[in-house]
Amino acid sequence: MKMTARMLVFLLVATALSAADKIDLAKGQKHWAFQPVKKPALPTVKNKAWVKTPIDQFILARLEKAGLQPAPAAAPRDLQRRIHYALRGLPPVPNSKIVDLKSEIKIQMATPQYGERWARHWLDVVRYADSNGLDENAAHANAWRYRDYVVTSFNADKPFDQFVIEQIAGDLLPTKGEAARREQRIATGFLSLGPKVLAEPDKMKMEMDIIDEQIDTLGKALLGLTLGCARCHDHKFDPIPTADYYALAGIFKSTKTMDSLKTIAKWHEHSFATPAHKKLKEKHEALIATQKKVVNAFTAKANQQLLVELKLEKLPTNPEGKYSKTNQVELAKLNSTLKRLEADVYVLPSAMGVEDGNATNLPIFVRGNHERPGEIQPRHFPRALSDGKPISDKVSGRLELAQWIANRNNPLTARVMVNRVWRWHFGRGLVTTPDNFGKLGVKPSHPELLDWLAAWFVENGWSVKKLNALILNSATFQMSSMPNAAALEIDPTNVLMSRAPLRRMEAEPLRDSLLQISGQLDLKVGGTIWTFENYKLVFNHTSEDATTYNSNRRAIYLPVIRNHVYDLFELFDFPDPGTVNGNRADTTIAPQSLYLMNSPLVHRTCATMAKQLLAEKKLNNTERVEWLYVKVYNRKPTANESKRAVAFVNEFCQERQASWQALCQALVSSNEFLYLK
Amino acid sequence: MNSPSSIQGNAEFVTTRREFLARTGTGFGMMALAGLANGEQPHAPKAPHFAPKAKRVVHLFMNGGPSQVDTFDPKPMLTKLHGQPLPVKNFRTERRTGHAMGSPYSFKQYGQSGLPVSEIFAKTAAAAADDLCVIRSMKAEVPNHEPSLMLMNCGDGQLPRPSFGAWVNYGLGTMNENLPGFIVMCPGGYPIVATRNWRSAFLPGAYQGTHLDTKHTDVTKLIANIRNSRLSTSEQRQQLDLAQALNARHLKARAADPQLEARIQTFELAFRMQSEATDVFDIKREPKHIREAYGSGTHGRQLLMTRRLLERGVRFIQVWSGNGQPWDNHNGLEKNHRKLAGEWDQPLAAFLTDLRQRGLLDSTLVLWGGEFGRTPVAEYPALNGRDHNHYGFTCWLAGGGTRGGYAHGATDEFGFRAVKDVVHVHDLHATMLHLLGLDHERLTYRHAGRDFRLTDVHGNVVKELLG
Repeated sequence: MKMTARMLVFLLVATALSAADKIDLAKGQKHWAFQPVKKPALPTVKNKAWVKTPIDQFILARLEKAGLQPAPAAAPRDLQRRIHYALRGLPPVPNSKIVDLKSEIKIQMATPQYGERWARHWLDVVRYADSNGLDENAAHANAWRYRDYVVTSFNADKPFDQFVIEQIAGDLLPTKGEAARREQRIATGFLSLGPKVLAEPDKMKMEMDIIDEQIDTLGKALLGLTLGCARCHDHKFDPIPTADYYALAGIFKSTKTMDSLKTIAKWHEHSFATPAHKKLKEKHEALIATQKKVVNAFTAKANQQLLVELKLEKLPTNPEGKYSKTNQVELAKLNSTLKRLEADVYVLPSAMGVEDGNATNLPIFVRGNHERPGEIQPRHFPRALSDGKPISDKVSGRLELAQWIANRNNPLTARVMVNRVWRWHFGRGLVTTPDNFGKLGVKPSHPELLDWLAAWFVENGWSVKKLNALILNSATFQMSSMPNAAALEIDPTNVLMSRAPLRRMEAEPLRDSLLQISGQLDLKVGGTIWTFENYKLVFNHTSEDATTYNSNRRAIYLPVIRNHVYDLFELFDFPDPGTVNGNRADTTIAPQSLYLMNSPLVHRTCATMAKQLLAEKKLNNTERVEWLYVKVYNRKPTANESKRAVAFVNEFCQERQASWQALCQALVSSNEFLYLK
Repeated sequence: MNSPSSIQGNAEFVTTRREFLARTGTGFGMMALAGLANGEQPHAPKAPHFAPKAKRVVHLFMNGGPSQVDTFDPKPMLTKLHGQPLPVKNFRTERRTGHAMGSPYSFKQYGQSGLPVSEIFAKTAAAAADDLCVIRSMKAEVPNHEPSLMLMNCGDGQLPRPSFGAWVNYGLGTMNENLPGFIVMCPGGYPIVATRNWRSAFLPGAYQGTHLDTKHTDVTKLIANIRNSRLSTSEQRQQLDLAQALNARHLKARAADPQLEARIQTFELAFRMQSEATDVFDIKREPKHIREAYGSGTHGRQLLMTRRLLERGVRFIQVWSGNGQPWDNHNGLEKNHRKLAGEWDQPLAAFLTDLRQRGLLDSTLVLWGGEFGRTPVAEYPALNGRDHNHYGFTCWLAGGGTRGGYAHGATDEFGFRAVKDVVHVHDLHATMLHLLGLDHERLTYRHAGRDFRLTDVHGNVVKELLG
């Protein structure tokens, strides 16, 4: 008889329940990703002239084995555009000279926009959002401090191991001055940013759900492991027994993420208020109190006058309405001052983040149910990847966990990160499931290259900038995206990388480019443009979210509201900000086209561009077309293209502004603009 | 300039738009077009696994959770015990509950089948009792909105899985290349958890629901960016011709590229949608007697638009009661349920009658219900409303090959827990897919190294529900 799926699941669960340690650790440990990283020797290749970096040797060796040739180098202007988007997420300055590529790459990485571009990648991984999401969509009004921390870290090329440690346990690190201490505490926002069921009536469940979210995020983001799967049963595919899950959970149970679990629960924030801040706040509060007194005194006086004037013994209802004109005006003035003061709340600076609580061990909760506690699990790291020694009872274990993850001998951390970087450059990772390196993940297409990169990354001080330079200076990155017939036949999906991928701009570069080419982009770095009271629900009682996105700052500074993401982001595959996602989708759907055809943002951009073009009185139409092509496509038009465009504006309609605007829009909605080739 | 003369005169550009599109389309055969991801053709019509009864789905979502004992599952025993504690212990629900609360409404039998229905749905019952296939033994997993919405819509309470509508479009493709295959209407904004209710998750983005805020009557507000504020249709065509000529040049240099071809096609779809959508959502084009039958309220408008979308081949339409969770009547149930049902009753009666008269009901599967039901006991402290109840609740199906005038399964004598012929949400999904000609165990999508299903590893087709 065929075994039904239901029976199978029952058996699996039953087996998992009967013995928490039935997982064969020794067997599970044999999985490729759990093997120590060994730097492989560089393979030999025939076409040595093509090789620019060791990366190319790995790629070429495979191509040669398959009988394929790498594509020729991309045209310099295409490559320049590609490099600028890779590093800054913005188009090159029009008509800028192409210095040698090596220098160009270095220069671009030294701009503040580099940190913004790369921070946004990392924010995808850490499910960054400015609101909690779920049922109680409370404002993370201070999340931006974490965002700024990430931007600064990428710009400063903070070693990735240090970056990891700070995000898990920055608050526990020795301090090197007040500024560093503040940064390190802000970094722990990583653990606090997740969506939480803030109105969960079962407080223990709420706490365990928050811990689960932390473990899940930490596992996927840093280790490429779906640790969260082991909450209710031993991991079905990876060697993570439930016991190991609760050993980890104990570390987070020993950590303070929440200040209050009472509905609506409040997450903890690190306070950065100095005595000076507090003084200012007190001063402001005193001002309010004084103004209140002034209002009351005035009302009392006016009431008294009223009684005298109207010869009354008792005040009428709504006495203010019967005041003299002068008194009414004066009272309104005093009240408006009071209102202004009250609205202008003095907020003490703070940031989301965690600190240590009491060190405790948790029991296994059978089937994830905290009402069914099993055996106590001393805190330790997953045994398949560590010695499994218990952590001291004197500490939470968070710092130890951070150091274990960021250790050069951890087989996953460096592999996962270099694969992410590769994914962000090529649109596909060497492991195509960048958040899952477990059994259910996909095996690497180039395992030796992955290991070589991981080893190189660690040897080079975990420097992301160096890694980016290495990749961008490779012949592999610099290939044209044009396929040849043999490649389409033998390797149609380009797994072997005989050409560069053709990539559509992501939501943020698309939006930023539109503002940039129309001269509107504000390149101010850091801070927040979204002012919202912390912990307040972003949806009002009528389920309206009043957040606007009209700012000309870069897209990374636009608020990310969970359950209600900015429509442009939503349309162009911005990831769900509630979960780890290092692998954005790339869809092609009609509403995107409607956006490019009809949205106010695109219209505003094109109207601005047309106005600027027409303001250049010295230019003739051919020169205007050239200016436009250079801005939008980073190249000059051919003679035919130029003629065609000039004919279009001459024939489109009587109004010059409208005609040029239509031309601008045709260009920015065309594939040559939207795609990086 | 009205004809693209300068395109024709230029060797760099292909001759006409038609020819150009024909050329770029050849790579795909049946090119279609609401979207495309990674070179697939998500919207091409696909053959079901076996002969279907239903071709389309309408899901009427009573979000918040309507009370079964006040609508389609009469419980005389509860009325008898009104005000007293139940002789059994209350099940663990979200909040604290107390004594039994009999339904404040009366029930009557309708149609040849004699199906008992509450007075608050009298018109629906009078018009279509013999079409309704009432499932009184529904069961979900937890008494919380969010996971229950996810379970009902996506087949899993917690993990990010694709929605039912996305699966159906993935399985069957589209019947109208000018409109999205999955349309979601919700007046006033979003239900809770918002777009996650109609997400495509790991399925290609083309399958996700397109949300319309049906509080608006103007099509420009219904669909984002549906109209160009500056250009006439012919001007826009002219502009699009130029953009497509630029695209043709860009593409020509590179041989076939499915991504670029898809982008080109989606612009054409978007262009067509502008007029098609304007037409389909304009209910003023309906004769007066039809509009009057549906009534002038929001739900009448939603259901009339739904019928027009069905006629044009839209595969999956989800219609919500409103933003937030309107049916979540922890307090003041009598008044609130009466009001909510009152807003639906006449439009529902008109909709089902209209579909039947047009011969659409047989091939349209209608699902009515919430994410769960409500407790037969009253909730503290007000004791005039009901708490969430996932142990037993009611949904009904109509049309699309279901068994009309039939009540399936049963809850206990108080309406608390489903006890007879229990239908889990997975079973409902399996059954609905079956009616669409899809085997829920074979409708799979490979993601992260595993084949996923709407029903995960669960679900059984409930044969009794089939007509």
